[in-house]
Amino acid sequence: MPASRSLHRQLLLWLLLPQIVLWLVAAFGAYRVASRHADELVDASLLQAARALARQIKPTASGLFVDLPRSAQDILSADPEDRVMYTVSSPPGQLLLGDARMPPPPGQPVLEVPVFYDATVPEPMRVVSLDLHLGAAGAADSALRVQIARASAPRELLARRMLLDTALPLSVLIALMSVGVWAGIRRGLRPLAELQRQMEGRRADALDPVQLRAAPPEVSALAGALNELLGQVQQSLAQQRRFISDAAHQLRTPLAGLKSQTELALAANTDPALRPRLERVHESAVRGARLVSQLLVLARAEPEAMAVQGWGMVDCHALVNRTVAAWVPRALAAGCDLGVEVGSERLLVQGVDLLLGEALVNLIDNAIRYAGPGATITVRLRRVGDDVWLDVEDNGVGLPPELRGRAFERFVRGPTTGEGCGLGLAIVREIAERHGGSAELLPAAPQGCIARMALPLAPA
Amino acid sequence: MRPAAATVRAMNLLLAEDDTLLADALQQQLLNAAFKVEWAENGAVAEYLLRKQDFDVAILDLGLPLVDGLTVLKRVREAGRTVPILILTALDALEHRVAGLQAGADDYLTKPFDFPELEARLHALMRRGRPAMQSQQLRRLSLDRAARRASIGGEVLELSPREWTLLDLLVAERDRVVTKPQIVAAWGSEDSAGGSIEVYIHRLRKKLEGSGLAVRTVRGLGYLLEATASRA
Repeated sequence: MPASRSLHRQLLLWLLLPQIVLWLVAAFGAYRVASRHADELVDASLLQAARALARQIKPTASGLFVDLPRSAQDILSADPEDRVMYTVSSPPGQLLLGDARMPPPPGQPVLEVPVFYDATVPEPMRVVSLDLHLGAAGAADSALRVQIARASAPRELLARRMLLDTALPLSVLIALMSVGVWAGIRRGLRPLAELQRQMEGRRADALDPVQLRAAPPEVSALAGALNELLGQVQQSLAQQRRFISDAAHQLRTPLAGLKSQTELALAANTDPALRPRLERVHESAVRGARLVSQLLVLARAEPEAMAVQGWGMVDCHALVNRTVAAWVPRALAAGCDLGVEVGSERLLVQGVDLLLGEALVNLIDNAIRYAGPGATITVRLRRVGDDVWLDVEDNGVGLPPELRGRAFERFVRGPTTGEGCGLGLAIVREIAERHGGSAELLPAAPQGCIARMALPLAPA
Repeated sequence: MRPAAATVRAMNLLLAEDDTLLADALQQQLLNAAFKVEWAENGAVAEYLLRKQDFDVAILDLGLPLVDGLTVLKRVREAGRTVPILILTALDALEHRVAGLQAGADDYLTKPFDFPELEARLHALMRRGRPAMQSQQLRRLSLDRAARRASIGGEVLELSPREWTLLDLLVAERDRVVTKPQIVAAWGSEDSAGGSIEVYIHRLRKKLEGSGLAVRTVRGLGYLLEATASRA
């Protein structure tokens, strides 16, 4: 899928762009209407002035008498800032009175019909030109032209003001609407953001359904499809785990039989040629049996399996004493001195007692296996900050540094050949992590190895 | 091979296990460990035998054909039989354990197992089932519980009440760790004079010299009675 713009941005763009276009069109239209209205107003007042001027022109025997009283002058200079210009000519074109710069009207004016036009003398002006009969009707040459010009600037000012009066509220309205649209999009997309948040913060193995409060149908459908998929994955994972567990159970009995049979054979057999072979068969049987047991422990450390195993308060002191006491005979049989060092402080962690015991068993078993006969193994329990450190220290040959990090991976085995199946430390780490803790291997001084499980103390 | 507790007769054991490979080997191993074994191949036979005969102890698989082990267990207990029963099964989840013990099993061991552990548990079950053996021979040590007397090779040891109780406990739990709280509990209100546990252990060690037995200290936990390696 090519990277596309965010839904939020796209919605905002497609909702706001038409609004801006609409705003531009409306503003342009408003300006046009405003100019036309301004023109009409100006033209009307020009014509009124022209007619008023024309009325003051009276034909006399000797020519024309222009009676421009005070009132007429007032009309012509109604606005002191309006620059006004007027001419009276008769016959038209022949200046009688006024400003000689007045431009002639375009085309052939018709009597009694006012002609409006724009001119530049020297500034832009609006001009009206009105041709009238003078004296007796029918005399072709007895026409009179009255022209009045007024600077266009005020007209444009008027138009601009009208535009501003319309455009300003419109802009505010658009801005308010944009904010509304933005907030609406945010609100509308919130379920999607919630979905994203839930999916992002998820562990790879968290397959519980997504929970959305009051989501719109589109998002609910998406979440529903997602949940269905998660459910299917969970189901197939559970099936797979059940298969592993079933298979391991089915393997246990025949392996126990094989082990017992080889034990018997070894006890009865005295043929030196056959004995090493029998020993190898026995070793394999023991390793297989152990592997199967470990696989089952791993299966039980899965989150959903842990939920049914009784999560509760575990007294580390009791756990260590119980586990070590059970392992002392085996350690003695292997020639190891197994002991404990626990303080008197009561250390509680939250977890599954059986699993933590299993992890400790694995650490002790590992120490016996790799430290070998004559080794001293000590299980130490102490509090460090908000953690409980459960150390199993031996004074054996230790672990090569290059193996120390990898030892926790599944099926990585130490240098000593033995009955180890390569799952022990992987199980320890898995169990420690399921309890919110960690596991590591450290070198001991002067020699040997410390396997450490750090578990968070239960809140007091 | 580990010396079994001195017993007059072979112990009767019922083995209910359907896997022939395992059953065959187990029968032989149990025979070597001085058990008289009766083998039941399915649940129906196992139930019949447990109801009709007296066994000292029984090993019961849960996944038996015809009648499953848990049902056999429930029926046998309902019939009022008190024979100690150890469940030996491939099922090791907590819920199976709990179900087995609730149905009346006395112990629970999962396959695959170590035979010495199975044997130790069987002996422990039989000990639990009846009062402690009145007299017991362990290597060169003899215990006469009625008289609260111990002797090595016929020579009677002089033991204070606390020393006797300590020795009795260690012998009963031999090869297993006896913790200090266990010792304190066993002493109970017996005369409190005479110092700490360490002092008593020290004295007992001296007195056990030549018995073929030794008290081993388990660091941080307690003590354990074991046979010394010198004499097998």
